[in-house]
Amino acid sequence: MIEQLVRLYPARWRARYGDEFAVVLEERPLGPFDVADVLLGALDAHLHLRGLGAASEHRKGFTMSLRIGGYAAIVAGLFWLVALVGNAINNGGESGSAVIAISVVFATVTTLIALVGLGAFQARRHPLLIWAAFAVPAFGAVLGLVGFAAMIILGDSDAELVGGMSAWGLSTLGVLTTVFGSALFAIATWLARSLSRGGAALLGIGALLMAPALAGATGAFGPPVISFVLLALAIIAFPVGWMALGVSALRVGRGPAVSMGGAPA
Amino acid sequence: MVTSLPELGRFAEPALIILVSLSDGPKHGYAIMADVESGTGRPLGPGTLYAALARLEERGLIEALAPVDRRRPYRLTAVGATILAEQLRELSDFADLGLRRLGRSTG
Repeated sequence: MIEQLVRLYPARWRARYGDEFAVVLEERPLGPFDVADVLLGALDAHLHLRGLGAASEHRKGFTMSLRIGGYAAIVAGLFWLVALVGNAINNGGESGSAVIAISVVFATVTTLIALVGLGAFQARRHPLLIWAAFAVPAFGAVLGLVGFAAMIILGDSDAELVGGMSAWGLSTLGVLTTVFGSALFAIATWLARSLSRGGAALLGIGALLMAPALAGATGAFGPPVISFVLLALAIIAFPVGWMALGVSALRVGRGPAVSMGGAPA
Repeated sequence: MVTSLPELGRFAEPALIILVSLSDGPKHGYAIMADVESGTGRPLGPGTLYAALARLEERGLIEALAPVDRRRPYRLTAVGATILAEQLRELSDFADLGLRRLGRSTG
């Protein structure tokens, strides 16, 4: 009888599950409930196999999105680290400004890729916040890239562009908008608990400290020691936060978890 | 877009129960059935079990290990653990809401 019941399933299904399914049926005497359940299961298998390929593609696409987002977040963190540390060391000098500018451009682009890849993973839980976390830095990236392009084309960072704002001012506003968007993403990630909460906390702290830290570095407020501490915290926390989220995404997308403890904290 | 258990239709509840059963380590089909029955007090039929297992495996929430004596164990993937944690938190939030409302109406 067990063999007859297994034969009710489609051949493709039997090739994959037939042997182990027969073992399960052999484990205990089959009651009317079990037989009815198997009949419904066989019917479902005949109907369900039509969508097998689509579901597999869906899974591959999701894993790929998470993986690309993870790698992009790590690369973005590295570029932000180079840009922010370089900016702090360079202290307004001309010598390293090209490297810093290129790093900021790459950091901005890779941050957007990371936001798309990792945002898709969390969009179901906090859709508005995730959309804002993408839209705000996307707007910032456009501002920043226009500012950088204007500086390169005009060869003058003080050239006035729109609304009395210089090319340098526009690119700085773009970077700060991107950083603010990262703070929104950090909050969404913290709430969703899908990726590392430690990484989200670092990213959020770094992003929120960035504006006062940069303002402090220009002597806008407070004693120099406070400005230095704020700046150092922001410079370390922001890139490390992105990298930690990237590593966390790769771990979620790749490895099996032997228990619930394997889920990211 | 991430797979959610409600997308599994009438197999959403068995799928959630199976994920919980696998959350403390890999199990083969019969061990899952026995664990579910002892944990919930309700039987899980073999047809329902394998319909849910196939869906969970397709979506990458569980993965099959090498068979041992024709019995193939399954284990939770990291994505499966994340989805399970999210589903359980949502259920917990919903239960808290219901209990608060019930407390207000009876208190």
